[in-house]
Amino acid sequence: MSASLFSAQGLVKRFGGLVATDHVDLAVEAGEIHALIGPNGAGKSTVVNLISGLLAPDAGRIVLDGVELTGMPAHRRVRHGLSRCFQVTSVFGANTVFDNLLLAVQAHTGSSFRCLGRRSADTRLHARALALAHELGLADVLHRVAAALPHGVQRRLDLALALAAEPRLLLLDEPMAGMGPEDSAQMVALIRSLRERCAILLIEHDMDAVFQLADRITVLASGRVLATGEVGDIRAHPEVQAVYLGSEAAA
Amino acid sequence: MTRPGKASSAVPAADLAPLAARVLPWVLLAVLAAFPLLAPVLGLEYWLGFVRRLLIVMIAATSLNFILGYGGMAALGHAGFIGVGAYTVVALVDAGVGSAWLAWGAALAASALAAAAIGALSLRTRGVYFLMITLAFAQMLYYLAVSLSAYGGDDGYGLYTPLALGAGIDTGDEAVFFWVVLAIAALVFALFSRIAASRFGHALMGIRDNETRMSALGYPVFRLKLAAFAGAGALAGLAGALLASHNAFVSPSLMHWTESATLLVMVVLGGLGRRWGAPLGVAVWLVLAEVLKLHTEYWHWPLGLLLITVVFLAPRGLAALFARAGRAA
Repeated sequence: MSASLFSAQGLVKRFGGLVATDHVDLAVEAGEIHALIGPNGAGKSTVVNLISGLLAPDAGRIVLDGVELTGMPAHRRVRHGLSRCFQVTSVFGANTVFDNLLLAVQAHTGSSFRCLGRRSADTRLHARALALAHELGLADVLHRVAAALPHGVQRRLDLALALAAEPRLLLLDEPMAGMGPEDSAQMVALIRSLRERCAILLIEHDMDAVFQLADRITVLASGRVLATGEVGDIRAHPEVQAVYLGSEAAA
Repeated sequence: MTRPGKASSAVPAADLAPLAARVLPWVLLAVLAAFPLLAPVLGLEYWLGFVRRLLIVMIAATSLNFILGYGGMAALGHAGFIGVGAYTVVALVDAGVGSAWLAWGAALAASALAAAAIGALSLRTRGVYFLMITLAFAQMLYYLAVSLSAYGGDDGYGLYTPLALGAGIDTGDEAVFFWVVLAIAALVFALFSRIAASRFGHALMGIRDNETRMSALGYPVFRLKLAAFAGAGALAGLAGALLASHNAFVSPSLMHWTESATLLVMVVLGGLGRRWGAPLGVAVWLVLAEVLKLHTEYWHWPLGLLLITVVFLAPRGLAALFARAGRAA
């Protein structure tokens, strides 16, 4: 456990009488794509919010690369290498793609309390935002307003914003949500290409995508970890089939 | 009337073309700088004081536009900081301080501290709760001022001796004081424009647009908001200090909540989050109020109608309206 890049141990989160997260243990190795799956209401998004710091856990600890993140505010976790995307696309819709990228890059290049120099004169910032645009295939839409872009492109921009932090662990909360088959295939390819850069904790409903991408899978049901293992083991796991895959197949 | 009229017609044009935008502020500044010399010739001495008050209110409105329009913080307690600045001057004058720079500098510092303390608590809330809590703090400051019997309580405090500006001149010299206020207002406005284009300004606008995302990008959202809030409070305090010298009188009514509301209305009228929004809103609102008062006792009516019209027809403010007209032309 201690050798893992990232580990969450004994995470508990209660909302009133509801135990949304019930002693969840999770470990992600360096270079791994680890999928977190489970039926609707299993508590996947709660786990992501606990890990990224949007919610405070009632118990448990979170460690990334030997640094204890528990109790750290969300923005400082990002500085320690933990970055995330959102289930609902969260970009700055009124701004251009380039301005979105500049803002993301700015968070990690120098202080944002500097208030006298014009940001437009910061060439280092521009170069990094441009590089990011090229890597994520956004160079063609650089000066388009984000809200006017197709859904798939906005998802890619969302991912670009998260990558600006150069994270060691990237949390992807349903990156394929609401996408058609073509966009999904592109996103799968894109996520696979990120394997070199960082470990990924992937929350996803699209089982095809999960089986294509994941090295290991953790199954969550009613806030508890039902099983963790290699893709093949999870597929064959009888309880998992009953709780999740079975019900999906029947649906 | 002539000068403020010019002010409001130059402002929208600033959005028209890059060249005009660069030249017009300087033209405006030159016209205003010449005003104290021209006013006696044209028989407009009365308006000298009026324009000076306009400039002071513009400082306060610009600072409110910064946190509200750029930072998305809907504060309804800005007059509280104006009051802290004004009462700092009162306290220092009462203690025997005679230097304007010392008094105004102290007002700046005191209101920055007050805003930092109030912001540290208020900024844990959002939206309508933030509005209510900033209002509550401003009301506390108001009643504190009412209870300060040493400084006149409800009746206020007269500042009979002008403050020294150095080199043997003081705020009693109408023209010199006008130039000092103009210089400070121009400096504040230049600073504000500069900050809006800086890394800090961009971060602040990002927070306004999507706070959760900014936090997930790694921005220290709370500290950035607090810095903006304290800075805006400091400038409101400076405006309060200048207003104290301008009126030669300070009373708690300066920080009544309706003063905060009027400031808010002027910024919304001019254009939230627009560079020229605050000065434009202040100019239009105060000039109309002044002119209407000459003709009718019921001067609130037309102002109310104007506000309703703007909210419906130009919800992004007069500055946005003029910018659009400029592009269409």
